[in-house]
Amino acid sequence: MAQQHTTDHFKPASLFGVFFLMIGGFALILVRLVFIQGIEHERWVKRADRAQEKNVTIEAERGTIYDRKGKILAMNLDRPSIYAIPSEVQNPVSVSKQLALILGLPQNQLLKQLRKKSAFVWIKRKITHEEMAKIEAKQLKGIRYVNESKRTYPRGPLMGQLIGFAGLDNQGLEGVELHHDATLRGTEGAIILERDAYGKSVFPKDLQYIEPTPGKDLHLTLDERIQYISERELDLMVKKTGAKGGTAIVMDPWTGEILSMAIRPEFDPNTVRTSNPSQWRNGAISDFYEPGSTFKIVTASAAIEERLVTSDELIDCEDGAYRVKGTTIHDHDPFGVISFRQVIAHSSNIGTIKVAEVLGEDRLASYIQAFGFGAKLGIDLSGESSGLVRETRHWSGRSLASISIGQEIGVTPLQMVTATSVLANGGYLMTPQIIREIRGNHGEDHKAAHIQRRVLSEKTTKTMTDILKEVVSTEGTAHRAIVPGYNVAGKTGTAQKIDPETGRYSRNKYVSSFVGFVPAEDPVVTILVMVDEPQGIAWGGEIAAPVFSNIAKEVLYYLKVPPTQTSPFPNAPKPVGHQKLKALKIANHNRTLVRDAYYEIGPSR
Amino acid sequence: MAKSPILSGIDKLFFLVLFFILAFGVLSIYSVTGGIAGRSGTPFYLKQITWIIVGCLAFLVMAWIDYREMARFAFPIYGITLLLLALVPLVGRTGMGARRWLAIGSFSFQPSELVKIGLLLALAKHFSDDYPRSGLDLKRLMLSGLFLLVPFVFILKQPDLGTALSISTIYLSMIFVLGLKSKFLIYFSLISAMLSPFVGHFVWNNLKDYQKKRLFTFMNPAEDPTGTGYQIIQSKIAIGSGGLFGKGLFGGTQSQLKFLPERHTDFIFSVLAEQWGFIGVLFLFILFFLVILWGIDVAVKAKDTLGSLMAIGIIGLIFFYFFINVGMTLGVMPVVGVPLPLVSYGGSAMVTTLGMLGLLLNIKVRRLIR
Repeated sequence: MAQQHTTDHFKPASLFGVFFLMIGGFALILVRLVFIQGIEHERWVKRADRAQEKNVTIEAERGTIYDRKGKILAMNLDRPSIYAIPSEVQNPVSVSKQLALILGLPQNQLLKQLRKKSAFVWIKRKITHEEMAKIEAKQLKGIRYVNESKRTYPRGPLMGQLIGFAGLDNQGLEGVELHHDATLRGTEGAIILERDAYGKSVFPKDLQYIEPTPGKDLHLTLDERIQYISERELDLMVKKTGAKGGTAIVMDPWTGEILSMAIRPEFDPNTVRTSNPSQWRNGAISDFYEPGSTFKIVTASAAIEERLVTSDELIDCEDGAYRVKGTTIHDHDPFGVISFRQVIAHSSNIGTIKVAEVLGEDRLASYIQAFGFGAKLGIDLSGESSGLVRETRHWSGRSLASISIGQEIGVTPLQMVTATSVLANGGYLMTPQIIREIRGNHGEDHKAAHIQRRVLSEKTTKTMTDILKEVVSTEGTAHRAIVPGYNVAGKTGTAQKIDPETGRYSRNKYVSSFVGFVPAEDPVVTILVMVDEPQGIAWGGEIAAPVFSNIAKEVLYYLKVPPTQTSPFPNAPKPVGHQKLKALKIANHNRTLVRDAYYEIGPSR
Repeated sequence: MAKSPILSGIDKLFFLVLFFILAFGVLSIYSVTGGIAGRSGTPFYLKQITWIIVGCLAFLVMAWIDYREMARFAFPIYGITLLLLALVPLVGRTGMGARRWLAIGSFSFQPSELVKIGLLLALAKHFSDDYPRSGLDLKRLMLSGLFLLVPFVFILKQPDLGTALSISTIYLSMIFVLGLKSKFLIYFSLISAMLSPFVGHFVWNNLKDYQKKRLFTFMNPAEDPTGTGYQIIQSKIAIGSGGLFGKGLFGGTQSQLKFLPERHTDFIFSVLAEQWGFIGVLFLFILFFLVILWGIDVAVKAKDTLGSLMAIGIIGLIFFYFFINVGMTLGVMPVVGVPLPLVSYGGSAMVTTLGMLGLLLNIKVRRLIR
């Protein structure tokens, strides 16, 4: 046959063999495919999402800080931040030159930024609107901006140390801004961008946007007006005496709320960069000093509470010289036999030490602790110091005498004012407060006043108030603390500072202080004034007392506290203990001053 | 004149299948490269269409001229293609770290692609002229192996491991159907052919990294070993995240976002799997299976040993490409840089593959003709 089917030469089996091998190949691939696309599908989807996502965080708007009357203390301003998309910048050299000129940045550094192989680079953040206008006018390609918020403190240096400041990236760095950062900051949002393998952002079909949760607003217990008064008066005295610095604290004794906290030297949180970090310090809570005679309040209160002495008991003040364990103690003026009331009024060291000797080390130490010294009071601010109180077993033979008159002990201004408030509020140690309220989108959080412990009986506080009223009388050491129309209870203090070079008491470095409350019968505010190293005369009665008087005068007027020496309610019975506590509770509830709450309850018994 | 003999044997289904595969490819290339232009400034998908048209001409030429006429010049053709291949190391153009191209004016091509046809013709002619009825003995095996060895070494030196291995399949598939004389040889080749991918892969996976690197650098210095790992992972992410139904034509995030390397060439299957999912891939598999089936049918029904051997060689080659390429994207085969036939972007491979399919049609339609 001409037509020959040579395919006969093949064993058909071998052709089918080829065919089955190929089917095997298909099957192998299919199994693998089912495995990857089916069984492992979820896993690979996750891998894909992870590889493709890029998060760009969106700053949450930081909470505003208000004073107790709703005045803004810290807020946010929109500030443009400019960035570059390097791949879109056509002429990096000329663009960098123009930007360098406007922004005052080194040109070679800008050029390096613009030449980066990155999808996004910051040029400069939070620039001024003038700078932005200039840049916009140039219409540079690839240079864009986004509005970010810049923290601003409209009151400038007023309560600067207290509020502190927040950094460029919305994080609190000092003061309230630091301590309440978590509250103020809010939760960052994000844009989840899909990105390609080169990291360039692309805009996907369904852009995921996680909205930032704005930070909560803080309402402080501070009153901007009282703060202003305190700072002004403190400032005047610090300048007049050429002092190194000073502190003035105004506290509501019933709640422990801080109404003002003035610190010198001043610090403006708007100009953090140009200020010295030492200025950021809130000395009122972080620095301790020897309180001197103001501390006699503690010794006297303890002795009266322990019924060891009455205010009219006579004490021999040894004509101004008394030996304790080989050291002679002097009074500033020699006194003979005077009443305990006069011992305090004239600030006799010898009289106080004699009382302390009766009290003994352990009892004095326990009262010191009860008054809140030697431990943090728990104010909601960072950097609070415990002060310096040694345990009795470390006391020397002289220690009892020294400590009873406020030496050999370190206290913070905050501790001193809080301890004095114990006498003002009928015997309770309050936790000092700076935050009144936290307001967020979802409701408010009131900070209730917190009683730490009862330190003294109401009777003792009455007796002590009477004694301290004598201090601020024409006969007492602090006649310059008198506030016309009101009775003032308070105590002066003049402490020699320890010279860090010699380790001994310095002859010309003093801390001059006054702490007291007003009106004495029905206190509205406790005020502490401390002036550090005034030049020349340093007596607390001369330096700190007048500052107290000036602050108290204006604050009482501002708070519309009726003068007690000519009461507008002559027939109204004075509120007594249980009513004061009731008022305290109402005040906490209504967030008003305790004084106002009194009048809400009315004069009824 | 009666109906054209070529037209009379046309299998309509075959052309439909072919059309679908080509369309699949162009669409996938378009989806990942869009308007992006290659070196010459023409978008990739348009260039691919141009190559398909050229390939169709090759298809027609290879289908028209009687394969027996071609076989008469089998050895001269083989010689010429070898000559061109030998020219590559001397005057060839270097691209992507390998010297594979010969340039004539602005037109450049890979002689290694032409060698496939030369080798196919030469081997088929060689075996059919002196048909080893009772199978091949060792002497014939070695002798015929020389046909393969020369171009194999040349191509390996380019370096192009993928193509070197693929031309071997022409030889191996012919050997397979011809059979071997010694039982030992039969079993040896059978088992090694079946197990080679698995053993190779197993050995590969158990090599230490530096050993792999050395081996890889030895076999294919152009490839970056660390880059290879990245490619496979990205490919598996693309395929795996595609799932059952895929992410849609332009929804392939892995490929759209350029994570996947060689998206329009060697890893086009990953793009396809990501966009069309398992369903789409299954459809593609059926299309290729039909092509293979059709090729086997041609081999079975061919009029003579010459045609039958040619068909076997062609089918073996196409299947090899398909298997290795898909296996590579799935991570079961080493990355050897083999395109997916008829789908991957690339001119020379497209023209050659279409030409060989023309040859298949040639063999089929002439089975009833003297």
